[in-house]
Amino acid sequence: MEHLLNELKVKIVETLNLEDVLPDEIDEDVQLVGGELGIDSIDVLELVMMIEKDYSIKIDNKELGTEVFSTLKSLAEYIYQNSPETSN
Amino acid sequence: MTRVRVYIAGMGLVSPIGHGLSQTKDSIKKAKKGIKPLSLFPTPQKEPLPVGEISESFEINDIPRTHKLALIAAKEAMADFEDIPDAVVIGVTTGGMAITEEHLKTGNRDPESFKYHSLGSVANYIACEYQCKGPVITVSTACSSGTVAVKVALEMLRAGKARKILVGGADSLCRLTYYGFNSLQLIDPDGARPLDRNRHGMSVGEGAAMMLLVADEDVPDNAIAEILGAGLSCDAYHPVAPHPEGEGALRAMLTAIKDADISPSDIDYVNLHGTGTLDNDLSEAKALNAIFADKKPRLSSLKGALGHSLAASGAIESVISAITISGGLIPANIGCNIPDPELNLNPVMKPSKADIQIVLSNSFGFGGNNASLVIGSPKQGGHPVPLNKTSHLTVVGCACITGAGNTDKTIENVSGGKNCKGMLSISEISKDLQLRTVRRLKRLPQLALSLAFAAHESSGLSHTPSSIFFGTGWGPLSETYDFLTKLYESNEQFTSPIDFVGSVHNAPAGHVAIMFKSTGPNITTTGGDYSFEQSLMAASLLANDIEDTMLVIGADESHEVLSGLFDRSVLLDEKPSDGGGALCLRKSETYSGLKISPLFFENAENNSSVISSLIRNLGDPRKINDEYGSLFVGIPSARRETGEKQLHEFLSLSGFTNPIIDYRKFTGEFASASAVASVLAIRFAQNGEIPKRLCGGKTFRLNRKGILILGLGNFVTAIEVTT
Repeated sequence: MEHLLNELKVKIVETLNLEDVLPDEIDEDVQLVGGELGIDSIDVLELVMMIEKDYSIKIDNKELGTEVFSTLKSLAEYIYQNSPETSN
Repeated sequence: MTRVRVYIAGMGLVSPIGHGLSQTKDSIKKAKKGIKPLSLFPTPQKEPLPVGEISESFEINDIPRTHKLALIAAKEAMADFEDIPDAVVIGVTTGGMAITEEHLKTGNRDPESFKYHSLGSVANYIACEYQCKGPVITVSTACSSGTVAVKVALEMLRAGKARKILVGGADSLCRLTYYGFNSLQLIDPDGARPLDRNRHGMSVGEGAAMMLLVADEDVPDNAIAEILGAGLSCDAYHPVAPHPEGEGALRAMLTAIKDADISPSDIDYVNLHGTGTLDNDLSEAKALNAIFADKKPRLSSLKGALGHSLAASGAIESVISAITISGGLIPANIGCNIPDPELNLNPVMKPSKADIQIVLSNSFGFGGNNASLVIGSPKQGGHPVPLNKTSHLTVVGCACITGAGNTDKTIENVSGGKNCKGMLSISEISKDLQLRTVRRLKRLPQLALSLAFAAHESSGLSHTPSSIFFGTGWGPLSETYDFLTKLYESNEQFTSPIDFVGSVHNAPAGHVAIMFKSTGPNITTTGGDYSFEQSLMAASLLANDIEDTMLVIGADESHEVLSGLFDRSVLLDEKPSDGGGALCLRKSETYSGLKISPLFFENAENNSSVISSLIRNLGDPRKINDEYGSLFVGIPSARRETGEKQLHEFLSLSGFTNPIIDYRKFTGEFASASAVASVLAIRFAQNGEIPKRLCGGKTFRLNRKGILILGLGNFVTAIEVTT
C-alpha cells in the first residue's frame, strides 16, 4: 500500500504536469480535487485514463469518481481493492 | 437602402433524421429518432457508442465527409437561386479530420493527401461551387459555431458589406470527437436524453445546414423567416464546463432578445441547446428560469433525435426553427421520458401544431462560447435596423512574438534588416505567465495567452478587454497530434481528455477569456493565411456589441509533423517559424490614436478582376499614394507566383512608389504572419518612419501617412493602419 501511494504521487505529478509540486509534498489525507494542488475535473478525467491504462481499473461515472478521488488515500485503497493484480 | 431587415430566402439541411427539408419535416412529425450505434468506422470496443450518424453512402474520393454534407445542404438552400452569394460564412470544428485521422493512422505523409484537412477548406469548397468572389469566413467556436456564423453574417448584412450570404454549419463524425467526448465521460450509453431526470450525457452526431440570408428594406412575401437578432457571450469560467448558474447563457439570450427589439413574452418557442449532459441542461434551465420564471414558452431540444452535430447543430436548429415558424410544427423533446424536476422545465413531449411567430434558438460550446438567435415569422412585422457603419478601431496596445523574441526584439531585428524566423522556446513564451495557468497548455494556447498579456500590458489600461477575437490558420496542432498518437498507440483504448479539450480551435481564446474574465463576444475564425484578417473583420463588424476594449489575436504554432503536411508554404522555407500578434483595440468614436481597419477581403479564385476591385475599394490611384506611405505585402510561399502577379498588377494600376516590405521574408512562413505584420506596421506608424534598412539605406518619413497591409494569394485582403 505504501508502495502504491508513492507510485501514485509520482504518476499524478507527471500526468498533470504539476511542475511546482514534488511527489512527497502530496498529503495522502488531504482533499485531492479543488484543494491546494489546483486539481480540477479535467485533471480527474486525465487521471481516470491513466488509472485505466496502468491499473486496468475503470472509473466511469461522476458519482464513483467523486468518492474515489476524495483523497490520495481513498484512490490508493480503491485501486488496491479492485486491481486484477492485487484482488487475489 | 438606409435600414435593413435580414431574412432566410432559401435553406437546406442533412441530418440523421433526413436528407432535405421534406424528409426532415416528415421525421419531426413522426418523432423519428436518428441515434444508433456507430458504424462509420470500426472501433475495438464490442459495442460502439450510440451516435447521430447519417446513413448516406458517399463516393469514396479525397473530398471529406464534412465538405460533402455541407454541399448537400448548400444545394438545397440555393436550389431556387441563380445569384452568386456575396459571401460565405460557415461554422466548422472537424473539417477534414476524418480523412486526416486515416492518413495519420496508416503513416501517410504525403501533403497532397491533407489538402482538405483545414476547417476553412469547407467554406472554400462551397464558395468555389457557387463562384463566390467575396469574403469566405470560417467560424470555429466549438458547439456554437453554426449560430455564431449566423451572427457574423447578420452583422455583415446589417453593415451593408453584402446583400446575400450563404451561411451555415457542418461537421462529420470522426475519431477525435467520438473518443474525445467519451474521454470526458459526457456520452450517454443509452443515447442522449435531454432534460430527462436520468439523463447521462450527449450523443455525438453529424450533419450540415445552410441558409441563404438576404438583406432588404422590406421582407418579401416568399421569405421563409426573418433573423430578428442574435446575442453572443462568453462564460470566461472553465474550458469545458458551463457556468453552473447559467450566467453566460443568460447573457447571450438577453442580448439576442434586446438585439431583436422584443421582450421575453413575445417568444413562442425555445429551441434548446439541450445536449443531455447533466451540467449543460442544468445551467441552461437556470438561465431560462431567470428570464421566463413561471411564464415559459413551449420548449424542446432536438439532440435526443439528432445527436449533437457540433458546429452544424446551431445551423440545423436555425433551419428547424424556421420550419417551426413556417409550418407551425413543434418538434418533440425526444429521449426525455420523465423531465428532471430540478430543471423546472416542461418540454414538448410529442410533436405538436401551434401558431409560432417568434423562436429563440440556443447554442453553447466549449470555451464558454454562447450564442442565441431570435428568428421570427416575416409576417410579424420585424424591425428594420439602420444600416450600420462599421467603425475604425483605435489601437491602444499591441504585441508580437516571432522566432527573434518579443515585440522589441522583433522590431529590432526587422529594423536592422534581419529576419525573425524560427521558433521561440516555450519557456521564453510563457515567462510572464503563471505556472499553474499554463501547466496543461501546449504551444498555441501559450502563444495566445502570452500575446494577450503583453498587448494588454502595453495598453496601460487597468481594466481588461471585454471581448476576444482569435484568428488561427491551423489551431492547436500539438494537442491534436498528441491526442491521436495516444489513441493509436493504445489501439483506440486510451487517450487524453486534456488534449481533447485543448484541440478545439477556440480553446486558446477561451483561456484568454478566463485570464481576463472577458465575458463579451468571443470568436475564433480560421482560414489558412487569411485567418487573422477574418478575426479583425469579425471584430470590426461586432464593435457595436462590445463594451469598451477588445483583443484581436492572430497566432499559429509550428508542429514538427503536422505543419509540413497541412501548410505547403512551411515546406518551402529554410526553417520552421511560428508566433503571432495581438492588438488591444477600442471603438474609434470615443478614442484618439492610430486606427486599424479591415478594408478589403475577396476570394481570388476565378476572380480575374480582384486587383481592380481592390483599387476601386481603396479609392483611386491618387488616393492610395496620398494616404499610404508604405505597403506591407504578405505572399505565402506556396502562392508566390500568383501573389507576385497580383502585386505587379497592383503596382502598375496604382502607380505606388513608396517603400514595399515583403514581410514573410522577415517573419518566416506561418499562417498568421499578417498579425505580426500588423504590429510592425503599427509600431512604424507610431514612430512616423520606415527604418532605413527596409528602404534602400535611407529612412523613409511617413509624414502622417498610413500603412497598407496587403494579403495576396488565394485571397486578396487589405488592412490599413492610419494616424
